[in-house]
Amino acid sequence: MPLVVAGLRKRFGRIQALDGLDLEIPSGHVFGFLGANGAGKTTTMRIALGVLHADAGSITWHGTDHRRLPRATWGYLPEERGLYPKMTVLEQLVFFARLQGMPADLAAREVRSWLARLRVPEFADRRADSLSKGNQQKIQFLAAVMHDPQILLMDEPFTGLDPVNVVLLRQALLELRDRGKTIILSTHQMETVEAMCESVAIVDHGRTVISGTLRDVKRSTGRQTVTLGVENGEHLDWLSEIPGARVLRPGVDQVELDLTPGTDPRTILAAAVARGLRVRHFEVTDPTLEQVFVELLGHPAADDETLALAPLPEPVA
Amino acid sequence: MSERHDPTFPNTGIIANREFFERVRSRPYRASTVMLSLLAVGIAFLPVIIRLLDRDTTTRIGIVADDPALAERASGIMRGVLASTSGTSAAGYQFVIEPDRATAATAVGDGTMDGALIATRDPSGRLDFTFITGQGIGSDRTQIIAVGTFAVAFLEWTELVRPPGGTPFIPPTLNVVAGAGPTTGGAPLAATEIASRQLLGTVLVVVLFLTMVIYGMWVAAGVAAEKETRVMELLISAASPRQLVLGKVVGIGLAGLLQYATILAPALIALAVQGPVGQALGLGGAISPPLVGVTPALLLAYGTFFVLGFTLYALIYAAAGSLVSRVEDLQVIALPMSLLGIAGYIQAVLALSGGLSTFMRISSFVPFWSPFVMFTRLTVGRVQPWELLLAYGLLILAIGLVAGLAIRVYAAGVLLYGQRPGPRQLLRTVISPDA
Repeated sequence: MPLVVAGLRKRFGRIQALDGLDLEIPSGHVFGFLGANGAGKTTTMRIALGVLHADAGSITWHGTDHRRLPRATWGYLPEERGLYPKMTVLEQLVFFARLQGMPADLAAREVRSWLARLRVPEFADRRADSLSKGNQQKIQFLAAVMHDPQILLMDEPFTGLDPVNVVLLRQALLELRDRGKTIILSTHQMETVEAMCESVAIVDHGRTVISGTLRDVKRSTGRQTVTLGVENGEHLDWLSEIPGARVLRPGVDQVELDLTPGTDPRTILAAAVARGLRVRHFEVTDPTLEQVFVELLGHPAADDETLALAPLPEPVA
Repeated sequence: MSERHDPTFPNTGIIANREFFERVRSRPYRASTVMLSLLAVGIAFLPVIIRLLDRDTTTRIGIVADDPALAERASGIMRGVLASTSGTSAAGYQFVIEPDRATAATAVGDGTMDGALIATRDPSGRLDFTFITGQGIGSDRTQIIAVGTFAVAFLEWTELVRPPGGTPFIPPTLNVVAGAGPTTGGAPLAATEIASRQLLGTVLVVVLFLTMVIYGMWVAAGVAAEKETRVMELLISAASPRQLVLGKVVGIGLAGLLQYATILAPALIALAVQGPVGQALGLGGAISPPLVGVTPALLLAYGTFFVLGFTLYALIYAAAGSLVSRVEDLQVIALPMSLLGIAGYIQAVLALSGGLSTFMRISSFVPFWSPFVMFTRLTVGRVQPWELLLAYGLLILAIGLVAGLAIRVYAAGVLLYGQRPGPRQLLRTVISPDA
């Protein structure tokens, strides 16, 4: 594996941020780096960048220790957005590209080319503080990719973007992947991960909970999702009485069921037919990544109360 | 475990370039340059202004003689001589006959009198004089008094000895005793020379202190602003803490030097022309050219103290800036450093007034204070070459040590948000940067 994180440990005072984290990230993939807040994702990225030092463990890229890699190997879009407010877009993108070793004239040409591709060529001479948050985010994305890094660390790149810009950014990232870049995508948007990532890892409390291809991770729980559609407006509440089945999305004509490992989906179909229902749709799919995430991180979907809001306090008399 | 190879250049230069132009283009920079230029020119013209306001000041001299008649005569002759010699009205001098030397000396000591002239007659009839000088009596006025004593002795000789037939005229001796005020080798410095040196020292030390604190705060505010705007997150992935700290210090330091030249040039011109300006205002030759003391070597020493002193303070300011999350929080954390600078500045001002204590002599080698105190000592001409070299050496050594610590604090501080580290955490940061 080209990018390997092995046994990474990092402690901040009393907090064990990383507790032996292991990851294997294939080259030229978009890799979904998932975990709850405080799971250790940002710490891992900062160690890779050399901003923090690990207490133990290693990060290697094609066998080379990350501390021996040139800084320009990495492109980093931090979760916390920020630019120099009074500098123009062109000035600051050239500044960041020069810090990564790009000649100023080449950097200026690249900036204008990228701005044109993101459909904002007029931004070049505008000050950063005159741009909207979303547009500033696009500029920061450019600051991360301008110098043509081998590995891109993207920490919540889509947060705060409107749907059009999300699509633009997704296209840009996929194009970079097609050019051989390795992209590590840290996000809470599971649909985005499912749409973009070939492989994923879920981390919790500084440890890898599961890692692998998207398909393997989704099948890792052994659960399956069944979608059953019938005609004539039949109620399907009775399906929850079948052992191993739980209604995820109830409905009149159609219902989505979660099946526990070992439950055969055909038992659902057989039960519907036995009741004389006319089945018009029957589909067995893997659970969504969100379902896997919730299950693996200790918040089973069945435990509705865990995910529900706490009750309102008693009104004061 | 090997560290990433992050050479100081070119990134330090790229960062310094950005910092320099950001400062120079900013409105506060331009405004402060104009304001400080005006302030420096104002201070440079201070002696002219003081002389203008002080033109009616009366110098009080006590006269003590063996017999009252001699005292009266001496007083009258001195008044007449001073009227013709000094080119100003004799009303500027007031002579008061004192009963004895002890009383006169006490009056000089407590400032009631500016000086005391004691006339004694030896058995041959020759007059000898002792002049006790107080604050404000320099060699220029002492020389005028010397001329006056010559006149007193000569007229006394012509009147009492009545040549020919008497003893030939023997010029009187004048023994000058410092009762108060600065001296050099026991002889009082010329008042104008003292003023010139004090003025020069004051202008330069004031500007040195102001600029070091102001530029230091620029560094701290720059770092804090990068944290506040969160651009720091991008920066730390693109450059090493060493490159970031040094680039900021160098860039802002160069902007400071440019401002310095802009401030100092008109001030030096003002110092150079204040003699003619004083004459044009009818202040006679009372104002000597203050630039007598400004030599290229002194300016070089000054420039070196500025560069080294600024670097030392700016490194600490950079570390301090990294510990706050907002620019508004900077004042609290920057205050101790300002106090450190103020302590050196006050000592420099005290040294300028001629009071160089052992403590100040020692503190002139302390790196945080030497830019002020040693430079002041240099201005008033009380420094051996080895002392200057030692002060520079210690300053450079301190910069090396402080740079190492500041970069460690900065590397950890820039990642801290929403919390101000206590002393214990700071210490831990220095020992183990990102623990």
